[in-house]
Order: sequence, then C-alpha cells, then structure tokens
Amino acid sequence: MRILLIEDDPATADYLAKGLAEEGHVVDRAATGKDGLFLALNEPFDIIVTDRMLPGPDGVAITRALRASGIATPVLMLTALAEVDRRVEGLEAGADDYLAKPFAFAELRARIRALARRPAPAAAEATELAVGDLRADLLRRAVTRGTRPIELLPTEFRLLEYMMRHPGEVLTRTMLLEKVWDFSFAPTTNIIDVHVSRLRRKLEAGGEPSMIRTVRGAGYVLAPALGAGHG
Amino acid sequence: MPGRMNWPRSFAPRLALAMAAVVLVASVCGAGWGWFRAQSALRQQLDLVLAAEAEGLIRDYETYGLAGLAEATRLYSRRQGPIFLSLSAPDGRLIAGGVPVAPVTLRGFATLPRAGEGSQIRALGALLPGGVNLLVATELAPVDRAAAALAWTPPIAGGAAALLALALGFWLARRLERRLDDVSLAARAVMAGDLTQRLPQSGRGDEFDRLAATVNAMLARIETLVAELRQVTDDIAHDLRSPLSRLRQRLELAAAAARDPAADSATLDAAIDELDGILATFAALLRIARAEAGAGRDAFAELDLSALVEGVVEAYAPVVEDAGRTLAAEVAPGVRLTGSAPLLRQALANLLDNALAHGAGTIRVTLAPDGSLSVADEGPGIPEAERDNVQKRFYRLDRSRGTPGTGLGLALVAAIARLHGGALSLAPGPGGRGLTVRLRARG
Repeated sequence: MRILLIEDDPATADYLAKGLAEEGHVVDRAATGKDGLFLALNEPFDIIVTDRMLPGPDGVAITRALRASGIATPVLMLTALAEVDRRVEGLEAGADDYLAKPFAFAELRARIRALARRPAPAAAEATELAVGDLRADLLRRAVTRGTRPIELLPTEFRLLEYMMRHPGEVLTRTMLLEKVWDFSFAPTTNIIDVHVSRLRRKLEAGGEPSMIRTVRGAGYVLAPALGAGHG
Repeated sequence: MPGRMNWPRSFAPRLALAMAAVVLVASVCGAGWGWFRAQSALRQQLDLVLAAEAEGLIRDYETYGLAGLAEATRLYSRRQGPIFLSLSAPDGRLIAGGVPVAPVTLRGFATLPRAGEGSQIRALGALLPGGVNLLVATELAPVDRAAAALAWTPPIAGGAAALLALALGFWLARRLERRLDDVSLAARAVMAGDLTQRLPQSGRGDEFDRLAATVNAMLARIETLVAELRQVTDDIAHDLRSPLSRLRQRLELAAAAARDPAADSATLDAAIDELDGILATFAALLRIARAEAGAGRDAFAELDLSALVEGVVEAYAPVVEDAGRTLAAEVAPGVRLTGSAPLLRQALANLLDNALAHGAGTIRVTLAPDGSLSVADEGPGIPEAERDNVQKRFYRLDRSRGTPGTGLGLALVAAIARLHGGALSLAPGPGGRGLTVRLRARG
C-alpha cells in the first residue's frame, strides 16, 4: 500500500516510516502540514497517517481540506497523550480513526489494516455477514454457525458484528474498546478478554473448531476455522 | 512610603485640586454673567425711573404750560437729587435746570460719557410741543457699583468652597494613603512568598473592607492552589521516580550482563511494560489536569446518561460475574444532561474498577432520576478520616498498595465531577458496611 505519513517530529517519523516499510508499504513523508496537504491533494494514496499538531495546517485542517475536495482516502490521526476530548473533533472533521501517542507499533499496524480493508459502502449496508460457516443476520440479530443457532447477548452481538466486518484482521483491545464500547481509555480491569472468551465459548459450544485466535501482545483475529469449508 | 504623601501622584489631592478648580472657574464665570445680568437689570430700572420723571414733567407742561414746567424744573434742581434736569428753548438757550450734560437735541435714551469726569451718564431727551427740549439724565456709576457688589458674591463664596474642597481632599488623601499603605505592605509580603498574609480590614464594612475581603478570598484560593500544586509536584516526583529508577536499574543490569537473546527480549518486554505503566500514569495525570483546567467543556454535548450508564454496566457485567460477584444496576430511564460522554464513561469505569479491585460482594450501580450516580459495594470501605485523602492524586490506602493501579482513579473521577459542576462524595454503604461513591453532575 502507498501511505502518506505527515509527522513533524523526525524521530517519530523515522520510527513509523521504518516500521511501515518493513510491513511492505511504500511510505511518502511530509514534515509540515503544507507539504502534507500538497501531497495528499495531488497524489493517490491508500492511507494517510497524520499527526494532529503540525506546523502549518494541522491534522484536522488537512482532513477537512481533503474531504472538501472530495478525496475519501482513509485518514488515521495521531494525537498527543490524553486528549480524549479532542477525539470527537478529529472524527467530525472526517478522520476515520484516531490514535493517541505513544502507541505500540502493533496498534498502528492493526488500525492501518482495518482502515485499508474498510468495507465498501454496499457491505456496510449489508443485512447479513458471513465468515466461514458463521452467519449473522443483522436485522433479526440472529447468529448461526453451520446450522446451529447461537444465542448472544446484545453486547456479544455487537462485538461479533464488529469482528465479522473485519475478518482476518488483528483487532487490538483498544480498537475493540473504542469501536464496540465507545471507551476512549483503557480501564484497569481487562474487560475485553472476558467478553471475547465468552463469545468464543458460545461460538464453539457445538464442538466446532475455534474461529477467534489470540495474537499475543496484539489482540484478536476472527477468521474461518482451519479446515472448515467456506460457505 | 507610609505616612508621606506624593501630592501630584496621589489620587485624592488631585481630585481635591480638580474640584477646587472647577468650583473656582464656575464661580468666576458665574460672577461675569451675574455682573452682566445685574447691570442690565439695574440700567433698565434706571431707564424706567428716567421715563417716569420725564412723563411727570410732560404732564406738568400740558397742565401748566412752559412756565409751570420751568417752575417744576427749578424746584427739582434745587433739591440736588440724583437726576439732572434741563429745559432748553428751541434756540438752545437754557430755560431752567442745570447745564445740559448731553446734547439738547437728544431724542430718546442714550449712554454718554460725562465730560471731564470719566464716568458715564444715562440721558433721556424729549421734544415738547413748542420746540422746547427736555433732558432728564442721571449718573450710571451708582448702578454699576451695585451690580459689581452683587456680582462679587459668588466668586468669594466659590473661593471659600475651593479652599474647603482642598482641605477635605488633603484629609481624605491622608486617610486613603494610610489604608492603601497597609494593603501594599500585605501585598508585598505575599509577593515575597508569605502566602498566609491577608489584607487588614478596618471592620467598618465599607468599600475598602469589601475589597479587602474579596482579595483575601482570592489569596486563600491561591494559597490552596499553590499548596496543591506543591503536593502534586512532590507526588509526581515520588511516584514516577520509583518506576523510572527501577527501569534504569533493569536496563543497566541487562546491559552489563552477557548478551543472551532470550534474557534480553524478556528484559525489553518488562521494560516496555514498566514504561506503559508510567505512560498510563502520565495520561491519567494529564486528564486530571485538563479536567481541572476546565478543558473539554467546549466539547460538552447533550447526552443520554441512562444509556451511557447501561452501556458501561453491560461492559463490566461479565467481568464482575467471572470474579464470582454480582453487578446489580438500577438505572432511571431517560436521564439527560450536558457533558462529556467519554469522561463520564471513564468516571463510571474507574468507580467499577475500584469496586472490583478493592471492594467485595455485590456491586450496585444506581442512577437516580435527578442524575446522581452511585456505585456501592460491600467491602471493607474507607475509614472516614481517609475519605477526602483518597480523592487526592496518588493517595492509596495502605492495604491496597499491593494491588495494581496508579492511585489516580478517584482523583480523576473527582475532577470529572467538578468539571460537570458537581461533586464526588464517599459514604459507608447501606448498613454501615462497604462504600458508596456518589457522583453528582449538573450538566
């Protein structure tokens, strides 16, 4: 993928560019908001990663300008610590995701992948999701694995829906906290692991092979069970 | 400088001087105007007198003829009154009265200089039937003297008033200076670092006392804030120095040891964990600081508190259950307020984290229709003496030092409550056991 990285701190920019290049992405760098906006307006990118605070137009202004020009490239905004209350502002400007510094690189990687494989608008309006032999009817809120119906609590259904919209991608705990529960902070209590393990037990209650895989130090992946037929 | 006055720079004497000047200027202008008015009124009066005199003589002439008029004129002139009369024949010959003081052909009123005397006279001349010239005249000097005497009264009174104003100003200035000197002294002591200093109050309850009371309240607030800031700085230094020192030792030991990929990566993982803990502390501190500074209020929005509470309860329910405990929620429907959803969510999550980590038994979450939110548990509770302390940054009860946490959870909840115009209160749970934490927000 071709990624535009707008970041004024050279050390952070080096670190991110190196990590993204190792992932096999092509990274274009800009150190000021002006250069970044120029590149973003004139060249095609798959993803734009921009710092919120920048010399020249800041991340919010860049995102607004892009959206005003009809450029829908996904924007991931990076922000200084603890500015939760500013998150909404970034998202309202048209950013697709928001990540507070400092973050683990795995977190950034997972979010970039999720943004790159954002479901097309048609898929977003789909009434049924399917991953392997797992099916979710979004209207009736009914889930079946193969032919076995699975009873889920509303929270569990929301969690599964989000995971089914991003099959095969690593979803970090912070991503799940933000997207499923709207938690823009990490509670001391690890609530995600408990919810995921409950969901996992329900998905495998009929003795089926596991579909939710734990990625150590990163998060969870929902994918068709190995050896299971694709429906 | 106490007791000494710097006249041109002092407010009250300047005010007194200005008042005196205004009084003086006003009375001088008043005198000019008064003189002008008095003079013209008196001269009009004089004209009336002259006219009345002339009219009387003319009636004498009509009744008794020229001889009668000449007789009346002679009689009058002999009395040496203030009015000069002269009666002249058409050829200018004086028939009766004094030497004419004005041209005998004068018709009507005129103001004329009196020959050789430097004063002025007012004269009325009339032509009687038969060509006889009548002249009635009087001196203007007595009238002008009266006008001047009248006009001088205001400036004399004004000068006295100006002197009084100056004296009053001087006295007021001395008083003001003394009280301001006291304030100055106290303020300098505060500036020198003595934050316990307060401005003196006279006890009269006047404007100065009210101002001093306000300034004293401000000083008290500053004193508290500075004390808090000092405390926070100490706390941050203490609570971040320990993990940072640990991290440094760990890395130093690892650097000194022989290279071993497995041990190195374990050390690095542990170092990252330690750093994540430090960063979490930093994040919590910054959030508290932002909430206390009122940042985020601009992002307040109308929100459904009932739905928010239910969402957080739903997220925690399985965790509480897995811990072998019960989460009971009683949420009044449709409670709305204006606030920050992310912060309120975090406040409730912090309270639930605390109830899970430090409490015991059933956790009860209650949202009352008035918007007060409480989290109660059946654990050991917090001793009354400690209830204020646990809302402070980094404060931890001795018994919970072993459990994970930054010691900032309740401090953040308290800051969020204050940001929403509310407060956080701690009380024993129902039946005197456990702990109820009540968060009131007035959005």
